[in-house]
Amino acid sequence: MNFVLKEVTDKMKRAQVKVINENGIHLRLAGELVKNSNKFKSDILIEKNSEQINGKSILSVASLGAEYGSELTIIVNGQDENQALDSLVKLFESGFSEGEK
Amino acid sequence: MFSAKNTEKEMIFNGIPVSPGIAIGEVFVANLDELSLSDKKIDKGDVEEEIRKFKRALKQTEAELKNIKAKLARDIGEDHARIMDTHLMILDDSTMIKETEDYVRTELGNAAYALDIVLNKTLESFASMDDQYLSERAEDIHDVKRRIIRNLLGQAQEGLKDLRRKAVVVAKNLTPSDTVGFDRKYVQAFVSAIGGSTSHAAIIARSHGIPAVVGLEDFTHKVRPYDNIIVDGITGQVILRPEKSTVKLYEDARRRFAEMEKELLTLKDYPAVTLDGREFELSGNVEAIDELKDVSSHGAKGVGLFRTEYFFITRSSPPSEEVQYRYYKDVVKEMAPECVIFRTLDIGGDKIADWITNVDEANPFMGWRGIRFTLSRKDIFRSQLRAIYRASAHGKLKIMFPMISVIEEVRAAKQICGEVKEDLLKERYKINEDVEIGVMIETPSAVALAPHIAKEVDFFSIGSNDLVQYSLAVDRGNSRISYLYDPLHPVIIRFIQDTVNAAREEGIKVGLCGEMAVSEGALGVLPLIGMGLDEISAPSYLIPEIKKIIRSVTFDETRTLVKKILKFSTPHEVRELLSKYIKEKRSELTEFIPKVALDK
Repeated sequence: MNFVLKEVTDKMKRAQVKVINENGIHLRLAGELVKNSNKFKSDILIEKNSEQINGKSILSVASLGAEYGSELTIIVNGQDENQALDSLVKLFESGFSEGEK
Repeated sequence: MFSAKNTEKEMIFNGIPVSPGIAIGEVFVANLDELSLSDKKIDKGDVEEEIRKFKRALKQTEAELKNIKAKLARDIGEDHARIMDTHLMILDDSTMIKETEDYVRTELGNAAYALDIVLNKTLESFASMDDQYLSERAEDIHDVKRRIIRNLLGQAQEGLKDLRRKAVVVAKNLTPSDTVGFDRKYVQAFVSAIGGSTSHAAIIARSHGIPAVVGLEDFTHKVRPYDNIIVDGITGQVILRPEKSTVKLYEDARRRFAEMEKELLTLKDYPAVTLDGREFELSGNVEAIDELKDVSSHGAKGVGLFRTEYFFITRSSPPSEEVQYRYYKDVVKEMAPECVIFRTLDIGGDKIADWITNVDEANPFMGWRGIRFTLSRKDIFRSQLRAIYRASAHGKLKIMFPMISVIEEVRAAKQICGEVKEDLLKERYKINEDVEIGVMIETPSAVALAPHIAKEVDFFSIGSNDLVQYSLAVDRGNSRISYLYDPLHPVIIRFIQDTVNAAREEGIKVGLCGEMAVSEGALGVLPLIGMGLDEISAPSYLIPEIKKIIRSVTFDETRTLVKKILKFSTPHEVRELLSKYIKEKRSELTEFIPKVALDK
């Protein structure tokens, strides 16, 4: 279940993040990510190994299988894209407040 | 929505009858996700109504989940209740909702089927994940899916234990955790797609006196919630959406069966003695304390097999010594002055507790189970043995070890018993220091080693279910090869006779606690009488039947039968001999051999 909201172009804002959580992005963290994404109006995509999924769908995020050490790209597009990107990068960097490894 | 009305033609299926009796009722589908959902298309004009139905089911599921969350918050605290937030988010997933609606609109699939297709795509990606922790989260998605589909199909119950109406339970398979805690008064019968006569569903059904038929693969694709159904546990016939005349026929058969049962119960207070004076001890197989009342009410003396694993499987972690002690104490006190034989934890195979992780075995029935499990988890083993020994101060009990295959296991287990006793005495607990210790003889190696094992223990109990499985190399739950699973195979009779001989040689007692005693009614118990076992243990409700058979034959006659059987090479010869004996000498016993009730 991975559909793309709009065509992804090179112009879109993007940032590389790394999963530092020991158990990867499991279901609860996927929920955290989606909750954060939903605070913004912009479209949010998460890319792993060139597969892109909707960052506002818990099922899509969870089914990505982002284990510890995975490198992901966050792609945002919309009116509040800067804030969205900043917020999500911080979320990954903080290890979703699960404690850094 | 499926209609509760029976407008379709009656269908007859033939399965394996595993617990006698007749039930007429309505279907309750357990393990709904394991059955095939109907891919029946909807009419184009019904699309919007189908989508409204889907949204209603989502709302209903949301209400259920919120209720659970509130209950969790009350019972174990807000923090733990937050786990339900994730489930609620899945329910609200815009992608899932959109894709399901699109499927209904474009493919004209019914909503339950559409949701199944959409979520299965997600679940597939979980299956391919290398990370076990991440992939295990698929269970949460499964759970939400099950709830929505149940609500879509108008079947709001969560599981067998929540069943609150009288129904015939239909499932692909029934595992111990499915059947734990179900209410006997609501379950009229079991029907399952897979399984043989010693599958868990079969054993549970027999121990509760519930009719059951297993091995009905085709059937589970045709059945729907709330269908009318007849289950004939005597012949193995299952009739779906029966016609009125068929229902009438079966109502008569059910009445006749009940009358026979009632008549047998009049034997309750008579001894289990053959016509020429050989007496047998009859005891009950029990797995929960509330079944003890059935033991005495059916005329059995004591418990020949108390299965302790269900007390462990029903919990999220192993019960503490104290909790076990209180439970075992209540069991022996209720059964006093009769004896209870406690089988130590027989976990593994199809009996897996949630708290055992990392069990992924290619051959679980030949794997980490029974005594093998407890000897490698001595913490669990010791606490169970401590609890049993402490309970020994309150009544008569014996200890029995399951799945012994080499003599070292017997010695290791006995050594731990010795250590446990010593510790308890040092701690000034009151215990019975002379509790008898026995083993189950249920593997071919245990039979071969029986003369040696007999020197180490106080009694043998032959576990015929596993003995048949291991001796004939037949997975007892596999319906494809169930024809090979045969308690009346001469090999089995020979193995039992060898075990009895070994016990006699050392002067120890030998009993049998498997299902063989009730195999094919009178046929199964006849050789057991002839081999001269001391004790036969069976589900309580079958005790009167066994008693009636014992009281109808002579030990001499059955001993002659066994001598002949020991020269045979096929089960066919055994059946022919036993049937001929009944026909010619004991025709009153023919009523115990299953007859076809409906010949269509």
